[in-house]
Amino acid sequence: MADHRSNMTLSPRIVALIAKKEYREVMHEKTFILSVLIQLFIASFSTFLVIGLTSFYDPTALGELDMGSTKIAVVGNNESELYLLLQNSDLSPILYSEFSDAYTAFYDRKVDAILIIPEGPPDGYEILDIDIYLPRSDLKATLVSLQLKEPLEKFEQSVRDIRTKRVSGYTPLDLNIVERKTKTSSTYFEFLYVALLPLLVFTPAFISGGLVVDFITEEFERKTIDLLLVSPISLFDVISGKVLLATIIAPVQAFAWVILLMMNGIVIHNVVTILLLVLVVAMILVLVSGIISVMFKERGMAQLFYSLILIFLFMISYLFTNSPMNLVTRLSIQSIGGLETIVWLGGYSLLAVVLYGGLLKVVERE
Amino acid sequence: MIDIIISMMAGWVTIAKWEFFRSKLKFDARSLILLALSLLLLIGASYMAAQTGMNMNNDMYRVTLTNPALEPVLGIDQRFNVMTVDVNTASNMYATDADLVIIDPNVFMADTQKSASASEALKSTLKNYREGVLTSYNDINNTHPVWVTIHYLERPEAFQVLSGERRRASEEDGATTQLSPEEIEAAAPGGRIAGEIGAGATQKRPQTAQELQTIQTRNLFEKQTIATPSHFAPPIPFTAILYSFLFIFPIYFVSQFYSSSIMDERTNKKCELVLVAPLRGADIVIGKTVPYLLVTMAIIAIVIAYIKGLPTDIVTIKSSLLILATMFPIVLLFFAFSFISAILSRSFKELTFAMVFLSVVVSGYLFFPAMFANVHAISTISPMTLIVLLIEGDTINMGEYIFSTLPFYFVGLSVFVFGTYIFREEDLFTQKPITQKLLDCVEIFLSNPYGSVFLLSIIFIPFVYMAQLMLIVMLFNLPLPYSVIVMIVLAALIEELVKSIGIYTLFKRKMVVLTLKNAATLAILAGAGFFAGEKLLVIITLAPIATSVFGSVMTMGTLLLIPLMIHIIGVMVVSLGMYAINPRWYLPFVLFASVLHGLYNLFILRGILFG
Repeated sequence: MADHRSNMTLSPRIVALIAKKEYREVMHEKTFILSVLIQLFIASFSTFLVIGLTSFYDPTALGELDMGSTKIAVVGNNESELYLLLQNSDLSPILYSEFSDAYTAFYDRKVDAILIIPEGPPDGYEILDIDIYLPRSDLKATLVSLQLKEPLEKFEQSVRDIRTKRVSGYTPLDLNIVERKTKTSSTYFEFLYVALLPLLVFTPAFISGGLVVDFITEEFERKTIDLLLVSPISLFDVISGKVLLATIIAPVQAFAWVILLMMNGIVIHNVVTILLLVLVVAMILVLVSGIISVMFKERGMAQLFYSLILIFLFMISYLFTNSPMNLVTRLSIQSIGGLETIVWLGGYSLLAVVLYGGLLKVVERE
Repeated sequence: MIDIIISMMAGWVTIAKWEFFRSKLKFDARSLILLALSLLLLIGASYMAAQTGMNMNNDMYRVTLTNPALEPVLGIDQRFNVMTVDVNTASNMYATDADLVIIDPNVFMADTQKSASASEALKSTLKNYREGVLTSYNDINNTHPVWVTIHYLERPEAFQVLSGERRRASEEDGATTQLSPEEIEAAAPGGRIAGEIGAGATQKRPQTAQELQTIQTRNLFEKQTIATPSHFAPPIPFTAILYSFLFIFPIYFVSQFYSSSIMDERTNKKCELVLVAPLRGADIVIGKTVPYLLVTMAIIAIVIAYIKGLPTDIVTIKSSLLILATMFPIVLLFFAFSFISAILSRSFKELTFAMVFLSVVVSGYLFFPAMFANVHAISTISPMTLIVLLIEGDTINMGEYIFSTLPFYFVGLSVFVFGTYIFREEDLFTQKPITQKLLDCVEIFLSNPYGSVFLLSIIFIPFVYMAQLMLIVMLFNLPLPYSVIVMIVLAALIEELVKSIGIYTLFKRKMVVLTLKNAATLAILAGAGFFAGEKLLVIITLAPIATSVFGSVMTMGTLLLIPLMIHIIGVMVVSLGMYAINPRWYLPFVLFASVLHGLYNLFILRGILFG
């Protein structure tokens, strides 16, 4: 066994050599290609979400898409304000006098919903109950609900305009938004910058953490570490080399994602800062999983703890502003000042340095 | 007889016991404490995160205000980074340092996507603020004068899964039969049983402000039945993803240990001793797998109890058991993939990536269609949809269960069988290339007295089916004509590959003499086998999606003779090609056959594709 001191020395040349060796193996086993495939899959999952879900479930995202007008059956008075609002909406209402006729039309798929207009006057005192009948387990139900929402809200507003005057001390807050040419759905915009972009740039960092577990535990489990340690290479050299390679491949992949998104016409600001952040976060994750691997020396255990800690970190990043995910969002849309960026990036780098110290301690104990 | 069975069982039971107690021992005191600690941390963090509403969009819009009174209004939304300045400064900041500038009562915005998005966000915030203020008055008739009651009615679907009509657990009769005049009378708004038809409106309109608040904090898993227009929301099936995660995380963790354990036997040749013992490979595989399967199913049972509550009445017990039964094939497939990855991989890295890749693919297969639960019939290809339905209180029928789980059972079990074939020294402890190991599987299958290329083609059908459904999902986001074209080419490639792999193995491994007669006979057998399996599959499962464009790519309509010919011709090209030149030319010929096959499919579908 190597003696205590040689365990701790650090030689940059050897670190680079170890990194190169791991790099060759990763390339040889084509695991890297698999990793890129995984990420492509996640990306296609995300675009599926963007295109599929936001357009299905967000009416404003459907703005440009002509859904055609959905026919709905309306039972009740044709002079009601609600009926007029429905006529002016994207829906085409067909008036029925009897519910049973409307139901037959619904059953025969001539209309996709039935709406019962309430009888009470808007300026009355009793509540106005609207009954809506939707088809179960049908895409139409969702689409009709989306189209119904606007006329229903307008109707609510007009009734409220009359009735809230009776509520003492209530003054509605009115802001006049001066609209401009550019229109976008905030669901789409926020999905892109809050979910998709951070997820894509950090996925390589998550993968790097897992990669390092395998790099290190494999040496322990195959007992090849003993062979390395008889040579003049220290354990810390070996570990550092593996950490180095796993860290630097993360921003390279993240950069590829950024380019891909940009080619799709998505504007991303502060690219260099974002990549720097990915580098620091990858370093943090790789060091955490490095410490775990040296402690447990066994793949199953180390992967379990790494996953648990990864989810833990993910959860706590919901808790504060400028978590790495949030920071990527704010950087990419220029919502953060230079000083704030430097302070937080510095903070994360400091954490990485502390973790490197931790790794040193753990290796020292071996 | 009995003692033979016992002695047969004894082998794997011994291994199972050993595996169970040994892997338990891996958790020494230190790891157990650390595990408990990190789980506690995780639960704590998740709880706190859930309190904040799970948003990562803090401070993404910059808003400048002139009226400090508006600060608390915007403060309720964490998306806004608010700054209050005087009017002069505000008008200078317009469109440069702020996305929105609010100089009471006007809101100015820049002509950018971000500003437009910020103004949308502002509108929803103002709405939430308004609702909050109005609710505080406790005068419902004046503040919330309009209420919408949503009823769900059954009617014939454009798509029907087999004969599987959706039923509510509470309803006994077939629900898609048209209502009788009396029932219509009852369903009409005057009749009070209106809510009982279809979705069953259990919620009552609130009378006080407190009730109003409780009704608005609706449980994520509940369907909305009554709301004011401002709170009226279309049913969003995101819950399906949540369930999938809850159920799949445990599987993922346990399969990590499982694959590590299999890999462990291979590194340092630990398994050598066991293989020398008078045990069959199957004993070892079953013995090593069963403990992990049991543990996973136990964890899943706990998750079910967490979601559905402890099973006390017969209905809950039944649906809990059905959920378990639906999860089982999923677990089986995950484990089958972990098993084969552990056997094929040459290193831990390779194992991790193979497992992550396969997990992501399987999860995708589970997630995508389940998002459309209650929306589209195609969603039932994913067992997760059945689980969503079961959790929501529906029942499922046998046809639906078979439709979505059969491919999982088939693929899972056949992967296990193929893996067990190569659970032997020469494959476990050597650094053979993966392709060679795969060919070993096929070779052992074909050297079995019952093995033939005909049967092999049929066995591969569920694989092809799952792979092609996965393609549909992945190609969903390409624009329409292209997605179908790419789908056709890739689908043909998969089919040609599996049809000819048996013949390639026979020739390559010199199991059959490379003659013209052999090449032709084998091609006919393999092609006919695939055709038979495909038609069998169509009968069992594809009925509901056969009518969509993607479905017709997979089944190619009702033509019988021509598809048989094209399947045979495809293999024939490869088979004769290998005969004429050399088995080493296998891949180029497969590509060539795929192109032919693809062109034929394109020709058939030209009507749909090009108008």
